[in-house]
Amino acid sequence: MMRFSTLLWALLVGVSGYAMFQVKYEVVQLEDQLTRLNRQIAADQEQIRVLGAEWSFLNQPARLEQLAKRYLTLGPIGPQQIGRIEQLPWRSPLPPAAAAAAAPPSASSQLMAAPRLANARSGLLQ
Amino acid sequence: MKPGLPERDDNPCRPRHFRPAACAPAPLEGPAKQALETSHTRLIIAGALFCLAFLVIGARLVEVAGFKGGETRLARLHVAERPEVARADIVDRNGVLLATTLDSPSLYADPKLIKDPEAVAQKLAALLPDVGESEIAARLAADRSFVWIKRQLTPSQEFEVNRLGIPGLQFQTEGRRVYPKGNLAAHVVGYADLDGKGLAGIERGFDDILRDRHEPVELSLDVRVQYILRDEIARQVAEFSAIGGMGIVMDVTSGEVVAMVSLPDFDPNTPGSANEETIFDRATLGTYEMGSTFKIFNTAMALDDGIATLSSSYDATNPIRIGRFVIHDDHAQRRWLTVPEIFEYSSNIGSAKMAIEAGTDRQKDFLGRLGLLKAPSFELPEIGAPLVPSPWRPINTMTIAFGHGLSVSPLQMATAVSAVVNGGILRRATLIKRPAGYAPSGQQVLSPRTSEEMRRLLRLVVERGTGKLANAPGYLVGGKTGTAEKVTGGRYERHGLLSSFIGVFPITEPRYLVMVSIDEPQGTRESHGFATGGWVAAPAVGRVVARMAPLMGIPPVDEDSPEIRRSLLVDSLSPQGRKIAAN
Repeated sequence: MMRFSTLLWALLVGVSGYAMFQVKYEVVQLEDQLTRLNRQIAADQEQIRVLGAEWSFLNQPARLEQLAKRYLTLGPIGPQQIGRIEQLPWRSPLPPAAAAAAAPPSASSQLMAAPRLANARSGLLQ
Repeated sequence: MKPGLPERDDNPCRPRHFRPAACAPAPLEGPAKQALETSHTRLIIAGALFCLAFLVIGARLVEVAGFKGGETRLARLHVAERPEVARADIVDRNGVLLATTLDSPSLYADPKLIKDPEAVAQKLAALLPDVGESEIAARLAADRSFVWIKRQLTPSQEFEVNRLGIPGLQFQTEGRRVYPKGNLAAHVVGYADLDGKGLAGIERGFDDILRDRHEPVELSLDVRVQYILRDEIARQVAEFSAIGGMGIVMDVTSGEVVAMVSLPDFDPNTPGSANEETIFDRATLGTYEMGSTFKIFNTAMALDDGIATLSSSYDATNPIRIGRFVIHDDHAQRRWLTVPEIFEYSSNIGSAKMAIEAGTDRQKDFLGRLGLLKAPSFELPEIGAPLVPSPWRPINTMTIAFGHGLSVSPLQMATAVSAVVNGGILRRATLIKRPAGYAPSGQQVLSPRTSEEMRRLLRLVVERGTGKLANAPGYLVGGKTGTAEKVTGGRYERHGLLSSFIGVFPITEPRYLVMVSIDEPQGTRESHGFATGGWVAAPAVGRVVARMAPLMGIPPVDEDSPEIRRSLLVDSLSPQGRKIAAN
């Protein structure tokens, strides 16, 4: 009986000792990895800062203006180019005669309505 | 069991296991019993200690397993491996980077490890052109173990130095302040020295915050508007051969400074190249007699205190003579003028008479309420205090009515005019971004009705008065011109002018104030030799408004629509009314 319990304890000590060293080495390894990752994060953050500064530098308004002048055919927006949705007319009004002709709902009138609509639209664009 | 041993044993030091097991336990007596009791007590104490230790361990186990107490602290220890935190960034209201800190290598040497200082100096001088060869050689010859060669190298210089492979040369990483937008907002952002200490602008005013905080400091500045303002002022300065210029764009509803320019300016990346002239912030530190733009305050005072109404009139037929002073009009009409006409034609005589009617005390009180008599509180350390006349004589009252005899900074001017047009609420000017739509509390310094009348008068100036060139079609600019003769050595100079225009748009519901001042402009052929505010500053304001309004989401309106006509009508201007007033 005595011998059995001694054996059991010795075994337990052995197992826990092994487990402890195992865990310890694992922790050391993980700590190494953590340090590496932290260093990587710091380097990446620094890289992001550098790129951010470069982005801001390259986006200097004076430079953008020069580039736009050289490569784009755009100019500043004038007040006549800005409108509100309420300023749009609802629909181009049809002439009264055409409206009367369009009154009976038939296939032919629908066909005829199409070019009229196109005309109205081009009028709107002019 | 050894029968030969004696029953009694007096030696307490005898090891326990030699003692015979008592088959029939004999009652112990005397010292033996005492020894047993002592050991018993010791056992109990030791046991209790162990129990306590196990309890502590158990409690800790529960804490770690159940509440995750210690682990995070351990993890943080490792994350905090880079304790040197960089100075915080400075960004504009849209998050555009204005100042940041980048790691940059600094080169130092250990002279004791360097065998041939002359040769090393020669090689280094070839790579680092701004440090002289003899200087490097002298430093390398020093009897120390640490000398700086050059601080804050570029990455390519670092690479080249490393390629030399000279032992004894080392790099140390330092934070370097970088201003990617260069000159654009130089006076606002300011600059910091090599050791990251703020020396000017926000860098100095917010030095402690920038050191401690990790999130960027958000300014109220908008880089796009800042560029537009700087561009237009630079154009006027060049066109009129001026010595400088300044301008401010302010949100009149919140007091936020959206753009602030002072020319000439400098590049904060190389503060060494700046001189006194370029580093001087004309917009906040400089104080100037602003000229006729002060008539905004004079008229507002007369209207607000009930001294005059829009249909009152004053005799501006003849110049006023007081002692050796003569007050005359630049756009002389030589007749009685109504209050709107005085404003429209910028009549000095009429304004002076209005001020005299109001009196010195009232004028002092009104200007004081608008914050024009003491230095404003602002985020920049470069703040100029106004030059207030002392004593304040009646002649001062008259000249201050049209902006001479009291020097204020453009920033104070912009803040006060914002209060006049925004319904009468004075709000502190700020460079720090406020949440959208948040209007900080301010003081009501004049009535909303006066503010509304002033807006009509300001529009009148642009529609048909001295400020026609400031018009930006669709955006309803209102404003006031000002041309001040600068004082040099106690005398007013006829040709040293400060020409300004303060504009507000859209005048029906003011949102932004645009102020431009040009320092000592010279007339050109296009301006018919004029160098006044209406010719020099007003066109710049008009162009700034036309360029910035679409960016800031201000919709253009039809200026001829009946509602707008009606809302901007100044009633007392019919010719009949004028005649009645003149009689």
